[in-house]
Amino acid sequence: MKNYKQIVFVCALALSLAGCKEPAINEGILPLYEPATVDAGGGNWQTIVLTSGAEVSVPAPLAVTSTSYQNELAELKNTLYSIDPAKSTSVNYWGTGGVVRWNQIARLLVSKYNLAPTYNSPTSQFSDPQAARLFALLSVAQYDALVVAWRAKYQYNRPSILRQDVTPRIPIADVPSYPSEDAAIAEVSCRVLAYFFPSEATWLQSQAADHKQSRIWAGANVASDVKAGEELAVPVATKVLTRAQSDRFSQATDPGNTWQAKRTAAPYDQKWTSLALPAEAPLLPLAGNITTWYNATTIAQSVPAAPALTTSAPFQQALAEVRTLSDSRTRDQYRIATAWADGAGTYTAVGHWNRLAEEQISYARQNELRAARSYALLNRTLQDVTTACWGQKYQYFVPRPSQGDANIKTVSPIPNYPSYPSVRSAYASAATSILLYLFPSESIALNRQAGEATLAPLYAGTQYRFSVEAGTKWGNGISSLAIAQAKSDGAN
Amino acid sequence: MKKLIAGMGLLMLGMTTQSRGQGMMDGFMRGQRKASLAITASQETFDSYYVNTTETRDPNLGTVTTQALNAYGVYGLDYDLDFIVSASYARTEASAGYVPKQEGFQDIYGALRWEAFDFKFGEKARLAWLFALGYQMPLQNYVSDGLVTLGRGSRNIDGRTMLHFKGSWFFITAQYGYIRRGQVTLDRVINYYDPAQVNPNAGSTINVPDVTEGILRAGITTKHLYLDGWVQRQIPYSTGTDIAPGVPFPTNAVGFTRAGTTLYLPLVKKFGLTGTYSTTLDGRNTGKSTRLSGGLIIGI
Repeated sequence: MKNYKQIVFVCALALSLAGCKEPAINEGILPLYEPATVDAGGGNWQTIVLTSGAEVSVPAPLAVTSTSYQNELAELKNTLYSIDPAKSTSVNYWGTGGVVRWNQIARLLVSKYNLAPTYNSPTSQFSDPQAARLFALLSVAQYDALVVAWRAKYQYNRPSILRQDVTPRIPIADVPSYPSEDAAIAEVSCRVLAYFFPSEATWLQSQAADHKQSRIWAGANVASDVKAGEELAVPVATKVLTRAQSDRFSQATDPGNTWQAKRTAAPYDQKWTSLALPAEAPLLPLAGNITTWYNATTIAQSVPAAPALTTSAPFQQALAEVRTLSDSRTRDQYRIATAWADGAGTYTAVGHWNRLAEEQISYARQNELRAARSYALLNRTLQDVTTACWGQKYQYFVPRPSQGDANIKTVSPIPNYPSYPSVRSAYASAATSILLYLFPSESIALNRQAGEATLAPLYAGTQYRFSVEAGTKWGNGISSLAIAQAKSDGAN
Repeated sequence: MKKLIAGMGLLMLGMTTQSRGQGMMDGFMRGQRKASLAITASQETFDSYYVNTTETRDPNLGTVTTQALNAYGVYGLDYDLDFIVSASYARTEASAGYVPKQEGFQDIYGALRWEAFDFKFGEKARLAWLFALGYQMPLQNYVSDGLVTLGRGSRNIDGRTMLHFKGSWFFITAQYGYIRRGQVTLDRVINYYDPAQVNPNAGSTINVPDVTEGILRAGITTKHLYLDGWVQRQIPYSTGTDIAPGVPFPTNAVGFTRAGTTLYLPLVKKFGLTGTYSTTLDGRNTGKSTRLSGGLIIGI
């Protein structure tokens, strides 16, 4: 017995010494991979904001036989074998893919600034409409810049570093090295994100500088490659930000409070009211007026039917279903509702689908240009879904279920805007359609995710089934439009 | 007196909801092959909570009330070695807003307590040095990430040491412990902003910050009464986040200072009644709670 006591004693002492600093989250490690394709014709792919890849001209590089280039190459070789651990960390960090990394940075910044309205600060938000717009503009800027870069690469054909007796420290694409695609991504991403997060501009610039420099440390690009990539990104970013300044988003907050008159005139019997204490103005009442990426008239043609009146039997049945789910919610339904809530403090539902896209991009080993195309297709669709749903929400002002039955408890905070149709369900169907188009071999996993994400608002108690179904149908319609256009952009 | 002291050891029950049965272990050994069983009911409420260390209220939450049924048992494996076990069934809900209530089994806690050294001073005074090692785990997969939860959901190891001085009717116990908290898998992927850790693909598994704990307890024990007063201070040892909208609560570094009192009255033979009251003096990322409990103790 005494031995056991001593063991307990020793364990207790060891335990007292066992405390060590742990990170809040264990960071995962992303794989490094050589892209599966080089997409030599990428310079001819259809651009989005630019008229074509030729709109931005890239100056011709010095010949590889020039003294200047040979000096750059020699310097790169010297650097390659003398980098310190910090530089090596930087090389590996950015080596997982510039498009993916800057998308992650965007997600992190969205989550940092996606603050919930609180009792003391009721208006501070960075939620779905803002996030959808940010991700779309970022992806479009990256994509257009990369089309320009790809065009110049195959126009000038400066050989890849791989073909110049250099072994880079990480796997790289066997594409012409001039101009650097990573420098273009870094510069354009930094500029777009600094527009949304001006207080983070200094940090973003340091990230961009690190990204560009990492390519030289990695042995993937020489300095003139990087400089050319950086320079081509500037006019692309300018054009994208010009669009941002004229997309009518600045009026989305409804500074004139026109939503109150719209609410009065809405063709619905019992209208939405804020369930927050104290009551707050709804979120971005005019976000339905934002300029769409795809044809607004075509989007409007598939608008869902008007919701049933609150006094009707179908509505009462839908409300009763939400109440039943609220009273007998299973642990798994709770999990699903939480997993897809994507509320304050998160990178929003749009960011969530960006993270899922990242997994697919990584599995498919897409090169930078193709990854940017995937994100641009997904995020333009999701922004248009947001805009379309927001317009309808403020058309009918359908109340949230808890307004009709105060005993309905919700897994996530009740969104402070009208219910119908469910934008989360529309995201789920639209994003899944886009991802299935891009990654058809992943249909089982994607459809499973879509099934959960679509019903999550119903399980959460914040939406009715008819709202979920309308959102799902409209999301499918908008994504069909996007896919039809993607089929003719030259990338297939 | 023997019977009275044997009935004690219920003090862990003062901690079921906020601290999930950790700490609050007393310095009274049970005795070889003797056992005690306590069944108590408790209610804990708070209408304000600490965001980091700033006290705040949320009208969309109102008052959060936790009611629990608690079971606690202690058995003397040897004259200087006790085995302790406790578990609770709880229901917690908010009075305002639309946050659903949570109900179910919380955690189970088991510990070994060893009286390593025992120094006598004269006829009635003695000083004991004790060590304890405990383990805690959730009894079911409850929701651990939200404003209204049953617990933090982590598996913990708890090591502590105590100095226990007892005179003829007076005692004082000082203890220090370290609670090593394990990982928790949440229902969602983490969105946690840290510029030095730019990777949002960490999944749903997070580390719950560890804490250190100090408790000072003093009181009287007579033939007809046990009464004590105590102060407990828990300090986060490892860094975590501070409560903010959407931040997963288990990653918050939690700390507090609480004070309370415990009363035990023997009834007949091996039966007695107990009651406790405690309140939160200050805190970090926790509710400013007040707690009342009462119940029956059986000495075997």
